[in-house]
Amino acid sequence: MPKSPQLPGEAFIITLNLRLAELLASRRENPDWDAAYQQIVSTLNREGFYEGMLGAGEVFPDFLLPSATGHLVNLRDELARGPVVLTFFRGEWCPFCKLTTAALAEAAPRIEAAGARILALTPEAGGWPLKLQQRDASAFEVLADIDFGVGLAAGLVFKIPPLYRARVQGLNLPLRHGNAAWCLPVPAVYIIGQDGIVAWRFADVDFSHRPEPDDILAALARLG
Amino acid sequence: MELTQVRYFLTLCRTLNFTRAAAECHVTQPAFSRAIARLEEEFAAALIYRERNSTMLTAFGREMQPHLQAMADAADAAQALAAARRQPPPGNLRIGLAPGVSAAPIATAIAEVLRVFPSAELHFSESSAPALAESMLADALDCALVPENSALPERLNRWPLYTETAVLVCPGAHRLAGKNACTAADLEGEILLVGDSCGGFGHMLEKNAAQQPRLQYCRGSVSQLCELISAGLGLALLSNRVSIAAPLTTRPFTEPELTRRIELTVLAGRPLNPAAANFVKLCRAQAFS
Repeated sequence: MPKSPQLPGEAFIITLNLRLAELLASRRENPDWDAAYQQIVSTLNREGFYEGMLGAGEVFPDFLLPSATGHLVNLRDELARGPVVLTFFRGEWCPFCKLTTAALAEAAPRIEAAGARILALTPEAGGWPLKLQQRDASAFEVLADIDFGVGLAAGLVFKIPPLYRARVQGLNLPLRHGNAAWCLPVPAVYIIGQDGIVAWRFADVDFSHRPEPDDILAALARLG
Repeated sequence: MELTQVRYFLTLCRTLNFTRAAAECHVTQPAFSRAIARLEEEFAAALIYRERNSTMLTAFGREMQPHLQAMADAADAAQALAAARRQPPPGNLRIGLAPGVSAAPIATAIAEVLRVFPSAELHFSESSAPALAESMLADALDCALVPENSALPERLNRWPLYTETAVLVCPGAHRLAGKNACTAADLEGEILLVGDSCGGFGHMLEKNAAQQPRLQYCRGSVSQLCELISAGLGLALLSNRVSIAAPLTTRPFTEPELTRRIELTVLAGRPLNPAAANFVKLCRAQAFS
């Protein structure tokens, strides 16, 4: 981490997005990576992708998904206990997700104190969801969105553009996903109220942009 | 991509006719064509050949069809399965096991399905991998656990679950029962019972080891084999996943190490009942140790 400017008497806070921006900058130094990244953002930024994503005010479709630890988790059952912070991740392999899960794990006690539960979805199967969950000391529950079903219903899934696909070839995504469609979800975050309606959403086709845990906490506070 | 675009494409795959597909989806043809075009734009590849008199899938369209079908089914299923909890009956869970494949590794997934769907009935059937595939095609089974490399029809989806290792099963009082690990050389002078339920480990030993025990072919279930071992008729190499009860005991078999991978198979494109669909999802998501 480079030295950050610090005003006298004021602690400089290293936010998640500062860390993400730093990681992005280092990745973009590689021109091949940069071209692949730009192709994802420009492909998805075209008109229409944002409108297709489920947004605030809409009912989030109920689901039943297997958890990393072998339970079937039902959205409606979870909502009966309180609001749900539903966060989509690209996968256990993604370094941007790694920074985000660490920040989320750190904020998890405050999110739970606000009465909410975190459910993290990954399109991975075969034990990778458990790896993702254990990396941050199981601070929140990870669910396997098998065959991208919930991501697709929320309008978040896209086919990986060719340049990025060439870069992630070595990850063997068909094995990780148990599905050879070569898709990924936009890493969106939803806050779903106990009425099942999306109260707040963060979605950005640029996977290096993620909501700050403090933004999630502020949105939860507004739920009342 | 949007679920509706995917549904339009799948309808077009079925009808191969824009007018009919648009009508089936209750949209105008221009709106339908635009949705398909937008999907192609996102994929940066054509899904459909548009010719004057015929509509055909491109090679890319044919490649994407089964994956998009699985995803659209998963989107429907995630919601429908949640609803199914509240509307019994969830259907029965019918699992096929290839010879020598134990139900022990999937017991926790089964327990979870029964927790959520208490009225589901459980059916096991043990048979050769090709016979299990036939039962799935005939809708007499929902899914099956089979060894990797089983010759099966292409219409089956397959996901690797876990690896099994051979262990030596012998009576507790046998001279090998006290060894930390056994090798092919230790089997000299012994009789090895081999049959379908041995998971093919006996045959692997035949191929991989210089020293060979005497093989005694024995067709029967794991429990029958164990009865013969208890009676002193011989020893057997079985999967480490099989539970073996006293007075028999198991020893690790290390030279050569014999392993096989077990896969979960399901007939592609056939919707499963809620109990079976959730069982398959739990198995696919699980980290088998």
